[in-house]
Amino acid sequence: MADDKILIIMTSGPDTPRRCATPFFFATLATAMDYDVTMFFTIDGTLLLKKGLADTVFPKEGGKSVGEFLREAIDSGVKMTACTASLELHGLSPEDLIPEVKMVGGASMWQMAEESKTVLTF
Amino acid sequence: MAIIRGCNLPEDLYYYPEKHLWLKPLGGNFFRIGLTPIAGKLAGGKLNAVTIRAKNIGQEVQQGKSLATLESSKYVGPVPAPITGIVKSGNDRLAADPNLVISDPYGEGWVAEIEATKWDLEKVTLLTGPEGLAEYEKKLEAAGISCG
Repeated sequence: MADDKILIIMTSGPDTPRRCATPFFFATLATAMDYDVTMFFTIDGTLLLKKGLADTVFPKEGGKSVGEFLREAIDSGVKMTACTASLELHGLSPEDLIPEVKMVGGASMWQMAEESKTVLTF
Repeated sequence: MAIIRGCNLPEDLYYYPEKHLWLKPLGGNFFRIGLTPIAGKLAGGKLNAVTIRAKNIGQEVQQGKSLATLESSKYVGPVPAPITGIVKSGNDRLAADPNLVISDPYGEGWVAEIEATKWDLEKVTLLTGPEGLAEYEKKLEAAGISCG
């Protein structure tokens, strides 16, 4: 039997650093519980996937960077997807993002939501 | 008792070195499972939560699949089942005091009890006794891990 799917929609970005660690932490934790986890980045969330940017965002002064939380999530098996339209919003191209990200359209988000047992939005 | 690279690893237990777990035979096919001091050290030495998956209780969990999770400010990850078996119980005391896993790893800090269903097949994947500990020591040395 396939493990239950979880979708985490990330809309927060570098303007709100304190909102940027927990979504990755929860995603990593869910993979540790054997859930099949996908994160979908849209609105400002997509900026966190720009190469190098997450390493400059710190939820807590002197603490871990968002880049470290992001890397842990990827290493644990969380799948990263980003909304193609949100790239346009920020004047980015797919090559500007880290290579682990798969670009998907908005309809894919609905499909992933339908297939997931739980959907969280940050 | 054996001290390997500064880590207390009793010779009479079985070890699952991939995630630094121990198993203690309780008789029959029953085993108690916990974390070695190595796992505690790698998790940062202070835990925020150790959570046994409630839906696993009474169910068979395959070797390597998630039995529980560890959370600290430095680490989040699974406690996989070191052998396939039916999860009989989790240590309820860890909900209130997850750091029992660190302070008393072989006593009050145990994690779960399991009834093995593939022991004869899987026991070869575990390390035990002086020979097993010698192999464990090599793995720790290769990974540069010690408890000092």
